[in-house]
Amino acid sequence: MNAATSELLTRRVGELRNLPAMPAVLRSLGECLSQDAATVNIDKVVDLISYDKSLAGQCLRMANSALFQRKTNVESIHDAVVALGIRNVRDLVYSVSLPKLFAGSKHGMAPITFWRHALGTALISQHFAYRLGIKPQEKFYLAGLLHDMGILVNALLFPKEFGEILETAKETETPICEVEQRVLGFTHCESGRTLADVWNLPPDVTTVIEYHHQPPATGEYAEVVAVVNLADLLCRLRGLGYGYYEAREFDLSSEPSWALLSAKYPTAQRLDMARFTFELDGFASEVEALVDSIFSGEHAT
Amino acid sequence: MPIEKLSAPVQDSREEDLKDPALFKIRDLIYRMSGIFQTDNKFYLLANRCQRRMTAIKSGTFADYLEQLTTRSSRDAEMRALLNEITIGETCFFRNQPQLDAVTKVILPKLTALKTKQSFKKIRIWSAGCSTGEEPYTLSIILLEQLAQKLKGWSFEIVATDLNDNSLVKCREGSYTDYALRNTSREMRDKFFTPDGDAFKVRDEVRALIKFERLNLQDQAKILFMKGFDIIFCCNVLIYFDGASKRRTVEHFFNALLPGGYFFLGHSESLYGINDHLRLVHFPNATSYYKPNPSDPAGDTL
Repeated sequence: MNAATSELLTRRVGELRNLPAMPAVLRSLGECLSQDAATVNIDKVVDLISYDKSLAGQCLRMANSALFQRKTNVESIHDAVVALGIRNVRDLVYSVSLPKLFAGSKHGMAPITFWRHALGTALISQHFAYRLGIKPQEKFYLAGLLHDMGILVNALLFPKEFGEILETAKETETPICEVEQRVLGFTHCESGRTLADVWNLPPDVTTVIEYHHQPPATGEYAEVVAVVNLADLLCRLRGLGYGYYEAREFDLSSEPSWALLSAKYPTAQRLDMARFTFELDGFASEVEALVDSIFSGEHAT
Repeated sequence: MPIEKLSAPVQDSREEDLKDPALFKIRDLIYRMSGIFQTDNKFYLLANRCQRRMTAIKSGTFADYLEQLTTRSSRDAEMRALLNEITIGETCFFRNQPQLDAVTKVILPKLTALKTKQSFKKIRIWSAGCSTGEEPYTLSIILLEQLAQKLKGWSFEIVATDLNDNSLVKCREGSYTDYALRNTSREMRDKFFTPDGDAFKVRDEVRALIKFERLNLQDQAKILFMKGFDIIFCCNVLIYFDGASKRRTVEHFFNALLPGGYFFLGHSESLYGINDHLRLVHFPNATSYYKPNPSDPAGDTL
């Protein structure tokens, strides 16, 4: 991102009060995670999450959903923290907190649409990493979940422009980032990165947010960006997009991200893509069902 | 297709049926044999279709049924019967909208842009195994819509072939029930069909784009005459072929396609391990196979 864009964004982010602050529970969870595991006070983590009853309830519903493929059910936040670990519980809290940050913005994209895409990309990134044999696959979840955070930022900071961007993207059946670039001079990649820096998110996540539409060929986080880049594309092609038809054709094998991953992971070359696509379709319907069941109340409109 | 069969009450598959390991094995067997894949969320359908066959042949468990499909001498016939159950109800007008969208919104604009440069304004489509005609007539209707809008001055030809003479008679009659038109909007029906008693008859302009022919896809000599197509549809036909004939037939399809052409299979059908020359490409909610064109590689970046 160039210096002028960065300055403009940082100024707007600083000036505007309606930009979401990082929810306190996530800030505290982040602090817990940066501590030595032995010193973490589990009861404190449990209290933090349980304080917000609706948040806690949604976390449990998600943790027990078929998509997370766990053998036993967790019945309390305490169970969840013990069974899943703090990192996974933090990811759950992010998952249910993200759509709440949308509340009150009027820009044309239904929160449930955004949410399906975010959750779908998170799960497919993780599943994709698993199928390719990249470990640990868990780290891909948060990067996938937050990759489009900038859409939320643009919708909140530039509601009028973003409404028009969405309208144009829909009419011309083109990707949002292309229209953003024309109208705003930057995309949700840059604005997402700005908020990610303000929130002090981990470096792999901030890199994914900034580069998921232009995956770099090398660098420390090239691999996680490549996985999320492809998961994002696959989601948009299998019914978990932005709620409109993107008139595009996509050949996975000719994507730079695919080249990068298959050079490193021989499993990629053996992956039966047709079958993987079918599996994703099954996944997509489950993501829809989960999102609908969890957010059928206040956030579904 | 017998309607009463389709509307027969669906037995509820029990939760524990859906976790039966034998059912997973049946799913994988079907995929290996036919390229059809039943996703986890459609498992109750797979269970239900298997149970219909199990009732018919008095097989009590999925494990026993799996044996019927693998080790008994009647296994090929039973697999065929199961595939019939699985693909039943696949034939109607506008059956697979995402495929049609891929054709009108992505493929036709791309092909016509390329061909404009060649000053050759014709698009040819082959509907292979066209059954009773719903597919080629649907294609004709969407092409007529495009002709009236974005593709004025273009000419289109659809060659629709089937092995079955009775099906071809039905094709040429072009008369369909409400049920075949269940996915067709009122507007489209009024525009492209005329009422014919209880049925609806396709209008002459819809027929005009199509040539119906009898063709056995396994006829090695005759299939060689099929050439120069931009798009080929072959839905739920190859699933019944054995590995060798499938590979041979797909090789013929490959040769019949122009470079840069597209090959479509049925919904949830795939070319599992059949042909390395055709490349799997994605469109929103649809996949297709692409014959690489050296001068225009597929694979736009989203």
